[in-house]
Parts: sequence; structure tokens; C-alpha cells
Amino acid sequence: MTRADFEAVRNPLLALGAILLGVAAGVYYTDQLAIGAGRDLKQHEIQLKDARTRLHRSGDEKDLIVRYLGSYQQLQKRGFAGDEQRINWLDALRTTNQQVDLFGVDYDIGSQKPYPFAAALNPGSIQLRQSVMKLRFRLLHEEDLLRFLDVLARQGTGIYTVDQCSLKRLDTRGVIRYQPNLAAECELAWITASTSATPEKKP
Amino acid sequence: MAEKLLLAIAAHGATAARWRGSRLADCQAFANDAGGLAVFKEYLAALPDVPAHVMVDAVEEDYRFETLPHAYGSDRVQMATRKLKQHYRNTPYMTAWRLGRETGKRRDDRYLFSALTNPDLVTDWLEAIVARGLPVSGVYLLPLVTASLPEKLGATATSLLVVAQHSGGLRLTFFRDRQFRLSRLTRGESGRADSRSRYFAEEISNTRLYLHALRTLTLDEHLSVLLLDRSDELGEVAQGIARENPSLDCVRVGRRDLAAKLGIAEPLLDVSPYVLYLQLLGLKLPESNLAPETVTVGYRRYQTRRGLYAACAGVATIGALWIGSNLSQMFGYQGDKENVVRQTAQLTRQYQEVTRQFPAAPASADNLRKTVELAQELRKTVRTPGTVMALVSRALETNPNIVVKELDWKYGVTEISAERGSASAPGATAPPASTPLPGSPAPAGARRQSALIDGEIRPFDGDFRRAITTINDFAARLGKDPQVAEVRVIKLPLNVNPTQPLVGNTLDSPDQNATADFKLVLVLKPDA
Repeated sequence: MTRADFEAVRNPLLALGAILLGVAAGVYYTDQLAIGAGRDLKQHEIQLKDARTRLHRSGDEKDLIVRYLGSYQQLQKRGFAGDEQRINWLDALRTTNQQVDLFGVDYDIGSQKPYPFAAALNPGSIQLRQSVMKLRFRLLHEEDLLRFLDVLARQGTGIYTVDQCSLKRLDTRGVIRYQPNLAAECELAWITASTSATPEKKP
Repeated sequence: MAEKLLLAIAAHGATAARWRGSRLADCQAFANDAGGLAVFKEYLAALPDVPAHVMVDAVEEDYRFETLPHAYGSDRVQMATRKLKQHYRNTPYMTAWRLGRETGKRRDDRYLFSALTNPDLVTDWLEAIVARGLPVSGVYLLPLVTASLPEKLGATATSLLVVAQHSGGLRLTFFRDRQFRLSRLTRGESGRADSRSRYFAEEISNTRLYLHALRTLTLDEHLSVLLLDRSDELGEVAQGIARENPSLDCVRVGRRDLAAKLGIAEPLLDVSPYVLYLQLLGLKLPESNLAPETVTVGYRRYQTRRGLYAACAGVATIGALWIGSNLSQMFGYQGDKENVVRQTAQLTRQYQEVTRQFPAAPASADNLRKTVELAQELRKTVRTPGTVMALVSRALETNPNIVVKELDWKYGVTEISAERGSASAPGATAPPASTPLPGSPAPAGARRQSALIDGEIRPFDGDFRRAITTINDFAARLGKDPQVAEVRVIKLPLNVNPTQPLVGNTLDSPDQNATADFKLVLVLKPDA
């Protein structure tokens, strides 16, 4: 191809290049629009399917509410469902101390954090959180530790798990009288459950 | 069909026609002199940039039918070019047209070599066109343009002689099986009407003799003559030919038939005898182009440009269709989405109507169920030190010399930290349960109970061997419990590790303060 040949076809070549670019850009842009619209449609179809399923299962939903509402309200009252009830915990500690005849309980409650073993329970949209309570108290006998934990559980102020405990024999110098023989330290995790979504408001 | 310029050049002048659509739009004749050329240049100046197709009607023409060995590609081109140079040394206007192959054993290629032997005839006209900047597609000999005429006029004769009166003489073109075989242009005037008939008959007879001499047509062979009569003045001539040559079949095609069959406006036929050939040239270009590359280079560029613009149009069309398809798809999706949204809203309204009859609940049904189930699951996971304390208590029943000073218990993924090392103490007999029991390993991430027991032998009389035996017995008893996964003694009263120094005095007697401390780690199975 000579220079004159190239000069002769320069403008058409430029036009062809410009049109190719324009067409490519237009095709790409409209293709993206179509893909976006298709994706949008699929999302709305999923919502439609959900809405249809929800309507079809509304009878089951009513049965679920009737079946679990009482238990849920009980858990709310105990402080498991909803916000933490720290005052109730302290009241329960005080009451337990009196009932088990302990020599007083020192407590230290940490800040609330996500419950580390929540994933194993598959909580779905429920958020499980825990507050670690460290307890220090003295005992007359080893059995008192188990009685303490049992009585505390029966106070009905929430659900807790015992993570650690240590018992240490105190040096009483062989004196036999009504005095603590053991020092105990325990770590309890008070667990609460809350829904992440806004509760449905019923008329 | 695009607009183009058609030009017929003859010795006496030229005839130009503009092709628009699929027919001749106008036609103008120019004399072969300075004045005619000047008018032609003015004519060209008024034209848009259209390609020019040139046809020549001249006595100085030559046709040669030859066969060459069959060849391909550049070999064939070189062979034909060499042959052309042998035949025509003094003209650049020549061409080789490959007609086909022989039927013989060698199956050689049949060629028609043709040339315009007087290039000066077209030089001035072509220079005017090139000066105007119009691309010249080619230069063609008029008889080869006529090749499509028999088909247009519906002439089916095997041997056909097309005869037409041109301004420079009589043009006689012979076709065998509608294929061009020979053409000649006679010089001279047809004269008066009474002698015209004789003149036509003589030239036809001369042509037959020439064909006979060339062994193309025998004298007794039937020949059809097609007489082109654009002015409707050759009626008597046709009758005269038929009368003088009974073996001839003479058919006259009059003005109206020519105009109708070739698609020419009748008034244009008056302009020039070349109008009907220009029409044929406009309809189809012959393959035998005489013009050299230097003449047609502009047309090649013109075609390249047109091809590129056509590609532009094609790409734009495809792009527009593609974009339209995408937009159509998008609008389709949007329409479907609106329907879906409408249906969803309707179902949601129905659902809300239904839920108005539900009892008031602080959370959704699923969350109510899940919360209650979580509480049940969590209660199942609760462990207390009671299990370990009971185990230790049972083991102590058979080992009254052992006193537990401290018990640390843990329920977690990792076992309790044995602060002073977890390796088994040397000398400690590994109890049966000191290694994980079959089936006892905890799954990754599962929590299990573990305890660190800090105790001593009391009373201790200094007999380390017995003390160690007692401790090992204690550990073994713990390990026998089915809930226990592992028992590990991590400290003994005497460190008999060969890697550690051991210092003492055999005369030393244990006093009341002598102790035999030990530590062991107890790990329960995950389900305990």
C-alpha cells in the first residue's frame, strides 16, 4: 500500500474506527443495562416467591406464635430474651448467698460481648451475647459450691454457664469452729438473646 | 445501484451518459475536436464524484482466441502477461480473458486476448476524466459489452450475427452459443436508402466469408442476423437481406422493442447509436478490462473507500440492531419487574390482612421459636465442677493419704493450663487413661471439662517410692472412670528426671514439715 493509497482511505478508516468504538461502547453499555435489569428482575422474583411462601405459610406462622409465645415471654421475664437484667442478677446473688449461708460474694461483671460459641448453636438472626461475671467467695465445705450454683440457677434470673472455678483450701491451723475452710473463684457467663431485626408490630 | 458516468468513445467523438438508479438518466454526445473536448470537460465539472466506465468502439481493435497450458495463481498471470506483450507491443490497453478450459486431454485454458491498438483514441478523454478526479473503473471494447445483448433481446439462435449502424460504419458482432467469437467495424457510409440494403447484405456476406476463413462458421451453416434499428429506418434493409440471402434468418429489432427490452427511454435513442451499449455497460461491466493499473488506481481506491464506508454502515447497522436488542431486553425485564412488584405488593397486603388476626407477639414467629430453642440448647451445655468433684471424691476413698489442697476446673475448648508444664513427670506410671481413650478425642471446637488437682501425701515419712506409687494409683483410679478422657501427672514429690540435677542427704530424716506434693491434670470426655 502506497502513501497515496493510505491517504485515500484515511478518512473512511477513521470513520470505521470511530463507529467500531461507538458501537462497542453502546453495545457494552446497553448490555450492562440489560444485565442489571435482569438481575433486578431476579431479585424481585425472589421477593415475590418469598411473599407467596410467607402468605402460604401464614397459618403455620400463627401456630408457631401460639406455640412459642408463652415460653418466649417466660424467657423475657427471666432476662434471657431482650436486654440484660444486671440488677436481677445481683439480687439473685444476694438471695443465693443468704440461702446457702455463705460468707459474702464479691462480684465483678465485665462488659457485654458476643457469645463466642454462638455459631455452634446456629442462631440465625438472633444475636447471642454474654457478660462474664467473676465471683469470689469463701465456703465452709466443698459441697457449698455446688449448692451455690444450683440455688443461683433456680433464682430464675437468666441463663448462665460456668466457665471456670477454682477451690483452694484455707489454712485454718487445725482450729475447728464455724469459719470458711475454702476459697472459691468462679467465672460465669450470663447469656442474653436479642433479635437483630425490628420486632414485628402487631395491631 | 449507485450513480455513475458511462462514456462511449469512437473515432468521431464520444457519448456520455449518467446512470442513476438502474437506467440512463441523461445522455450527451461530444465531437472529437477541441470544442467537443472543452464541452466534455464542462460536462464533467458539473458531475458529482462518481466512477466512470469507458467503452471504445474503434476499428483499431484486436481479438485472439488462444489456449495456454493450465496454470494457477501467479503462474497463470505471468503466462497471460507474457502472451499479451508478445501480441501487443505498442499499446497499454490490452487484456486476457480466461473463458474456460478445453475439453481435450490436456484441458488447456482458453483465453480471449483483446486490445485497443490505437491508444491515442481514448487518451484525451481519459485525461479529462482523471483531471476531474473521477475514478475510472476500466476501458472496455464495445463488442464485449454487447455480449449480454442476445440474452436481453431473447435471441436464442446458435449462430447469431448482431448488426448495427454506427456513426463510423457498420458493426457486425458474431456470437456462437451466446459467446462472443468475432466482431468487425466496417468503414464507410451506408449511403442512400436504396443502396443501404445492398451495403448491409454485402458486409454480412463478407463477415460470413471471414468466419468461414477462420473456420468458425461454414458457408452453408444457418445464421441468424439481429438487426438493431434504433431509428426504425431499416425495415427495407431487413427485407432486402432476407431476399438476397435466403439462408439467413434476419430479425429486425425496432426502436420500441429496444427501448422496452433494454429499459431505455425512447428519446435517448435519438442522441447516439451508443446509447443502447451504454445501457448494457451500466447494467453489467464486462470482465475484459483493457485499462492498465495506472488508469484504474483511482477506482481501486474509490472501491476501497466505498468498501470501508459500507463496512461502517454494516457495523453501525449491526450495532444498532444489537443495541436495540439489548434495550428491548432491558425494557422487557423492566416490564416484567413492574408486574412482579405489583404481585408482591398484592401478596404483602394479603399477608398483612392475615397477620392482623395473629396474637400480639414481641418478635416474628421464627424468632420466637428460635429464641426458645436456643435457651433449651444453652441449658444442655451448662456444666458445673460437680462431676469432677465427685470423681475425685470417689478416687480419694481408696487413697486416704492423699489430701487435695487446690482444685482448678475449667469448661472450655482448651484444657486447663498446667502452669508448671504439662509434660508427664518422670517416674510417674502412666495410668490406663493417660492417653486419649478410643473414641474420646473431642471434635475441633467442642468444649470439655478439665481440672488441675494440686495435692500432697499426708502423712509423709520420706518414702518417695511409696508416695509416688500412691499418687500413680490415685491417677489410675481416676483414669478408670468412663467419663475420663485423660489423666496426666505433671508433678511428683521427687524429680527423677535424668536431665535434671537431684541433690539430697541420706542421713536427713523427714520432720513434721516434710511434704510430698504432686499435681495432675484430669480431662473429661466432651459429652461428660
